[in-house]
Amino acid sequence: MTSYNRDSLTFYLVGAIALILIFRLVYLQVISFSYYRQISDENRIRLVSVPAPRGLILDRNGKRMVTNRTSYALSLVPSQTQDMKSIARKISTILNLDLNYVEEKIKTGWVNKYTPIKLMKDLDFKTICILEEQNEELPGVRWQVEKVRSYPAPYWSGHLFGYVGEVSQKEMDDSREKGLTLGSNIGKDGLEKQYDEVLRGEDGMNYLEVSAAGKFLGPLKDKKSLPFTVGSDLVLSVDSDLQVEAESALSKFNAGAVVALDPQTGEVLTLVSKPGFDPNQFSSFLDENTWQSLVNDPSHPLLNRVIQGGYPPGSTYKLLTAGAALESGIVDRNSTFYPCHGGYLFGNRVFRCWLPKGHGSLNLIQAIAQSCDVYFYQLSLKLGLDRWSRYAVLCHLNEKYKIDLPDEIAGMIPSREYYERKFGKGEWIKNLVINLGIGQGEVLTTPLGLAVFYSALVNGGTIYQPHLLKEIRSVEGRSTPKPKTALFQLPFSSSTLEILKEGLVEAVNSPSGTGGLARIPEIQVGGKTGTAQNPHGKEHAWFVGFAPAENPKIVVAVLVEQAGHGGTYAAPVARRIIERYLKGNSTESNAAEETKVQTD
Amino acid sequence: MNFFRLKTEEFDFKLFACALLLSLIGVLLIYSAKHASTPNEKGLFLKQLFWLSFSLIAASIIFLIPLRLHEILSYLYYLSAVLLLLAVLFIGATRLGATRWFELKGLTFQPSEWAKIATVFALSRYLAYSRRSYRSILWIGTVAVIGIIPLLLVLKQPDLGTSLVFLALIFSMLYWAKVPLLFILLICSPIISLVAGFHWISWGIFFLFIIYILYLLRPGFFFSAWVLILNLGFGILTPLIWNRLHDYQKLRVLVFLDPNRDPLGAGYQIIQSKVAIGSGGIFGKGFLHGSQTKLAFLPMQHTDFIFSVAGEEFGLIGSLIFLAIFFYLVFRGFSIAAKSRNSFSSYVAFGLTSILAFQGMVNLGMAMGLLPVTGVPFPLTSYGGSSLLISWVSIAILLAIHYRWTEY
Repeated sequence: MTSYNRDSLTFYLVGAIALILIFRLVYLQVISFSYYRQISDENRIRLVSVPAPRGLILDRNGKRMVTNRTSYALSLVPSQTQDMKSIARKISTILNLDLNYVEEKIKTGWVNKYTPIKLMKDLDFKTICILEEQNEELPGVRWQVEKVRSYPAPYWSGHLFGYVGEVSQKEMDDSREKGLTLGSNIGKDGLEKQYDEVLRGEDGMNYLEVSAAGKFLGPLKDKKSLPFTVGSDLVLSVDSDLQVEAESALSKFNAGAVVALDPQTGEVLTLVSKPGFDPNQFSSFLDENTWQSLVNDPSHPLLNRVIQGGYPPGSTYKLLTAGAALESGIVDRNSTFYPCHGGYLFGNRVFRCWLPKGHGSLNLIQAIAQSCDVYFYQLSLKLGLDRWSRYAVLCHLNEKYKIDLPDEIAGMIPSREYYERKFGKGEWIKNLVINLGIGQGEVLTTPLGLAVFYSALVNGGTIYQPHLLKEIRSVEGRSTPKPKTALFQLPFSSSTLEILKEGLVEAVNSPSGTGGLARIPEIQVGGKTGTAQNPHGKEHAWFVGFAPAENPKIVVAVLVEQAGHGGTYAAPVARRIIERYLKGNSTESNAAEETKVQTD
Repeated sequence: MNFFRLKTEEFDFKLFACALLLSLIGVLLIYSAKHASTPNEKGLFLKQLFWLSFSLIAASIIFLIPLRLHEILSYLYYLSAVLLLLAVLFIGATRLGATRWFELKGLTFQPSEWAKIATVFALSRYLAYSRRSYRSILWIGTVAVIGIIPLLLVLKQPDLGTSLVFLALIFSMLYWAKVPLLFILLICSPIISLVAGFHWISWGIFFLFIIYILYLLRPGFFFSAWVLILNLGFGILTPLIWNRLHDYQKLRVLVFLDPNRDPLGAGYQIIQSKVAIGSGGIFGKGFLHGSQTKLAFLPMQHTDFIFSVAGEEFGLIGSLIFLAIFFYLVFRGFSIAAKSRNSFSSYVAFGLTSILAFQGMVNLGMAMGLLPVTGVPFPLTSYGGSSLLISWVSIAILLAIHYRWTEY
């Protein structure tokens, strides 16, 4: 075997390849010459991409939330126009557009003389008729039918779904393999971005023969068109009725957020952030002014407060303090402290309770139910800063929960090291726990973080990954369900969790509890109010509730910005969501009851 | 020896002339490809001309360096190339999703080009001095590792075309080391298993075939065990991994195997390239008269599809002349390898010529629609500074080996 002469073998091998290439050349240039010459002389091959319809987005009951609708787009073929300038001027007068905008579009969209430049998207039928009437004067101007996304109109749509837009050069550079071409639409935010590859499908492609003048002659002979593949549908765990309910419950407030989870699975049942934006306005080319006004709006409509808003949690974190203290063996359910007279003197400063007349002597359950600050000042001091922040970290309150939406932020848990870096070393630092213990100070959470924490408190201690996706449904009908994923475990024993839950139920159901406005006839609700100090204005109102208390099916976190007491403003919102979800309808709470109940 | 008096009888003018002709034809074709383009691109041929002059100067300097020095520095070259490849992954410039270039004040350099030559040197050095038999796992393993490190680094960029060049290099060096052909087949067998593994029947047949070859060659227990394990592993893993991939991931693999599935990219280019070459006929449309070329139907006609311009404008006659020059150059390179008295130089000559030959033939096959588009430029002719420079460095080393082939 080895006796081959490698020198001559090499020459034969290379020679053989050379012969193959020569035969191929003869085949192409002599035998098939006339065929190829014809294509090249008379015709040009043109590739026309046929965009694949994006997958739909359905709610948990199969109701369509995001669909595709037909619209008209306008484009310009440079090779068929003599005078670019005058065409641009005519278009800008007919469509009532800025001339600079049209010229800019032509400049940035230019690929070559034969490729249409898209000028406008989502035109109405009337405009198309006007253009059609004048088409003699508008050589090279064409309109075509295309599919655009159609979102339900309310303000929460934008945060949940995001929107779709033309791929930018940078996005193309970043993701070469995804099969993107200029003009492709991709998801830019929200679920559209998160599940872009699932929703997008594959664009189809037509090979067309085109005459030298640019006239389409028909499909190419030796090349079959490639059909598009429709994108897969997303089935969400979100309930669209609940979305509407949450929107209407927030209607009297300027800004706020609502998120509801199924505590047993992590499924997101509703997610609303106010103010929001309507993603439908992105279906046409968004003009610069609209975009700037969205970005510069002082109320930040683009911010998804549920996952991107960091707020002090206020009294809702008293459960963390109580849980840590129970686990550390500092208290049991019956422990009492120095009674509350409306304030607590520590050093030379008086820390006030929210109830000026004071709560008197309370045990732990009552302290949670009535949200007594003085009780928790003393409990926090006993627990100490280090233990408090260690338990907060063990509860994973400073983590992202990998919800399937882009740009989630994590909560903030200050520690001794944090303060020492910020203020320098000092014995006094440990006293900052007084404020942290009642959820004030540097501690921050997102509404989602709070909902996740409370879900774990009431489901036996498991932190599930919150997710909006229930399943992916392909065109062929194959469905891929999203499995529930346990992320972490709370560091609390079941007896601790039971005591905490008892406190939460009492907070809503005992006459002196702060969450009375969340009460629902026939359903036992539990929950905690919170009122977060806000240096910029009135306090933020919090309420986190769950029901039914014995086997919770829903946990809802409500934040109302700059409203006042959580029990007054946030609890009724939560009540409506819970009632709607468990009973199928909701009722306005009666005003008489509202005045009777004491709130935090 | 005397550096300053050129011994004309031993300077390979033919090789030099072929390389110079291919480069000059390249400049002409780039001019033709871009003369109807935007003013910005029109001047690309001048840039190429500048690179050519620079490459020629570099080549004359390299020609003067004694081979002994390369031999001593082989592993150092290799180390520098690997470090550069690593560096480019972190600080390289990213274009079209690939990180391949160092960018400095508008000048770009592609370290994978240098890595080709450095790997040839390292492999030659090892092969020339190792006393082990090809049946030794250590020997095969060393050769494989030297070749595979740059291959993987280049694949990470990602640059499939160039990593295939490294794969071809490993096998041509084994071939030149007189490893029996069936034995080389055994070494490639895991790669074939990977492909054959898509269907159990094809894989089963191939696996039986491997067992038969092992029986014929009896290459020793460890080697046989490795071959069998790797083949079994790939054969079983491929379908397992394949079935776990998402649909879009499968599509990416399929697009690579069958570019016609990627209509906007590879498939389109191949059709246009075939039309360009075919419509050239026997005599061609004439310089600057290629309509396919002029209308910019081919997006990469000055780089990967430079041959289509030649085919369209100079027809069969021009194309055959082009092929003749190229294959003559390849033959010259291989005969230098065959003639060299020194084992190291022989390996170097064979490795460098293999790279030129492989790139050229793959590029031609791609332009003529025989092979999938992998983005391999034509050596010496395609537009691109790093590629031209390194091709000329290879030519200079070949010339140096020929010039001093009786030495040492």
